[in-house]
Amino acid sequence: MAALLELEGIEKRFGGVHALRGADLRAHAGQVHALLGENGAGKSTLMKIIAGMQRRDGGSMRWQGGTVDFARPKEAHEAGVAMVHQESLLAHHLTVAENLFLGRENLRGPLLDDGGMREAAQRLIEAHKFPLQADWRVERLSPAERQLVEILRALQGQSKLVIFDEPTSSLSDAEAEEVFRIVRQMRERGAAILYITHRLVELAEIADQVTILRDGETVHAGPFAELTTDEIVHHMVGREVEHIYAREPLPPGPELLQVDLPGARFSVRAGEIVGLAGLMGAGRTELCQTLFGVTPAAEGSIEVEGTNVLPRSPREAVEAGIALITEDRQRTGLALDLPLATNMTLARLDGVVRSGLLRFQDERAVANSFIEKLRIRAAGPEQRAGKLSGGNQQKVVIAKWLYREPTVVLFDEPTRGIDVNAKREVFGLMDQMAREGKAILMVSSELPELLQVADRILVMREGRIVKELPRGTTQQEVMHFAALGDGEAIPR
Amino acid sequence: MKLRSGMLQKLLPFLSLIGLFVFLSIASPYFLTATNLASVVRQTAVINIMALGMTLIIVSGGIDLSVGAILAFSGVAGTMAMAGGQPIWIGLLVGVVCGTAWGLLNGLLTTTLRIPPFIVTLGTLGIARGVTLILSGGLPITGLPPELAFLGEGMVFGVPFVLLVLLATAGLVHVTLDKTKLGRYTYAIGSNVQAAVYAGIPVARYTVAVYAISGALCGLASLIEASRLMTGQPTAGQGYELQVIAAVVIGGGSLTGGEGSVAGTLVGAFIMGLLANGSDLLGINPYLQQAIIGGIIILAVALDEARKRRFAR
Repeated sequence: MAALLELEGIEKRFGGVHALRGADLRAHAGQVHALLGENGAGKSTLMKIIAGMQRRDGGSMRWQGGTVDFARPKEAHEAGVAMVHQESLLAHHLTVAENLFLGRENLRGPLLDDGGMREAAQRLIEAHKFPLQADWRVERLSPAERQLVEILRALQGQSKLVIFDEPTSSLSDAEAEEVFRIVRQMRERGAAILYITHRLVELAEIADQVTILRDGETVHAGPFAELTTDEIVHHMVGREVEHIYAREPLPPGPELLQVDLPGARFSVRAGEIVGLAGLMGAGRTELCQTLFGVTPAAEGSIEVEGTNVLPRSPREAVEAGIALITEDRQRTGLALDLPLATNMTLARLDGVVRSGLLRFQDERAVANSFIEKLRIRAAGPEQRAGKLSGGNQQKVVIAKWLYREPTVVLFDEPTRGIDVNAKREVFGLMDQMAREGKAILMVSSELPELLQVADRILVMREGRIVKELPRGTTQQEVMHFAALGDGEAIPR
Repeated sequence: MKLRSGMLQKLLPFLSLIGLFVFLSIASPYFLTATNLASVVRQTAVINIMALGMTLIIVSGGIDLSVGAILAFSGVAGTMAMAGGQPIWIGLLVGVVCGTAWGLLNGLLTTTLRIPPFIVTLGTLGIARGVTLILSGGLPITGLPPELAFLGEGMVFGVPFVLLVLLATAGLVHVTLDKTKLGRYTYAIGSNVQAAVYAGIPVARYTVAVYAISGALCGLASLIEASRLMTGQPTAGQGYELQVIAAVVIGGGSLTGGEGSVAGTLVGAFIMGLLANGSDLLGINPYLQQAIIGGIIILAVALDEARKRRFAR
């Protein structure tokens, strides 16, 4: 069967960086094609070339047998290429419907047919049973809901090739399941699907073919069924990776964090990593934000080392020794345009100030020591944080808080959008913090990871902690309480 | 290679300034004279000092449209004190304190009421103008001590005194912006205010401080303006806000925040000063001067955007 899309020897350079050096890819109609690789391997760049967002520097691209060169996203779109972006490319001040029709608005005479578009959008939403309303404004949506809007955009029209760039990284399992259903539906319709993900577990659900990139080169291509997970990881990192997140529990220390809020009573000891599980919208992020003073609690107490702090602002939380690694590092974690050294010292600038003046030498030394200790892949302390890959950006955020030396560290989705290797390193850092006697609370939607890393798991449902489960609990057990709450027997 | 051409583009405002300087030296025999250069410095000093404060505000992601009105109020208040018999230093102090107060008000209104600074300062522009006219009865303040002229017109070792004031102020603001917590936080707030909040930075307090500093510099500038005219003009500083913002932007400041520098702003202000002076010397219609400056602003920002796009990934 002739391939729908054929890429051969694609080259792309950004200044001195050789992002793609001979990437090959063949995608067929009616197949789901997984594209794998570590962060920085060139997956996103390759996808952008296909979607007309970047021009290639070398190599050939054939579409339905003929050589093409999409100079603009519009050209790719007209040829039948649709892309579901990882980062939200939505207009935040517009509604869901307005975003869905952005650039292809329906007109009634010279005027916009707002009503018609709203109805069409609502029909599309209902056909897929998404928890959205056509007239909701995008700025009010959560990252997961925005992702659903992105998917709906690609679902409009009859695309021949649909590119999914990590569509499930911010979704709950149930929502991810819905995405898989849509992907299968598209495949049956005869579309080719390119699927980028970091969750290898997902591949079993949908992938027919795999292409693995490493350092901008295709290192493996073939049917998915022929590969084991170990082989995939091996191809991706280029060496053996021993089993990843296993962690030795530490002897419990004193209680550093004691929380007594309506619906949430718990404590975290020094050296402990406590996991916070739950479905999307169960209130995990909200709990972290309350602990960090972003949305202060009206009543109750939050004690750090026995002192009630109940922070009214992030500043009070930071001063009380609490750190929060937020779920959206680009929005709330980093100043992307500023050097990474600046980002690292931001939460404790006094550390590099002598008699009122910043000491650049000290600051560089701090940054260099973290770059080395955390193995951050960067050109140097002066590099802008926005230029780093997701995993390295996350390490910069972690470095910022390590430098602050907090007592309690809250991790909200610490591994979102970062690759296997970077995940392992992030967990290594969390373990190290625990060993240094910090108390760690971790939110994650990646249940398998949470089960391996956490010493205990608190399950949240509808804003309340409904169950505490010990290390060694199962995914089914956690999901049971997350979905149904406590008070019912677990079906055996 | 990549770095070099990036640097070259960054230096573009500076190179343009030098190019303009060389061109005017050749084009007009009157340009490269001590008298003319001193007058360029005197003419640009007021805009320059105000632009230093505006640099802080723009780096923080804000804007202040009321600077011209603050200048008028502070100038009238300071000169009224002097006309009423107070010594010059008290007059200066009154001007700077009034400017600071207006800056504080701007900062507090934006941070506590959460109104965008564009709107707040558009409002305070009107209020300050109105109050100034009431305070002065719409008439210039006269009867100032003759020694006041030294501030704007005096020479020290053959250099205009006002140049020394400007350089000292620029040095202070540069150190503040580049080497203190206040400056670093200003960049952080302008680059990503959310990240700054989550890092535990008292964002509101620093934002207020930035507007207050700018206000204080407007107060200082107001007395320089008064000393050059030897009156306190209630209508002083009309349209200065645009020149001041233009100087910062030509010098590489970004209206979306997080970018800008004292050196860039100085260069931007002097480019505008030379354009005005050169047009006078070459006999270009003053109405056309305004159009030229408008074009230069658009060109400068366009070049800066092109630079950023090229080196963005």
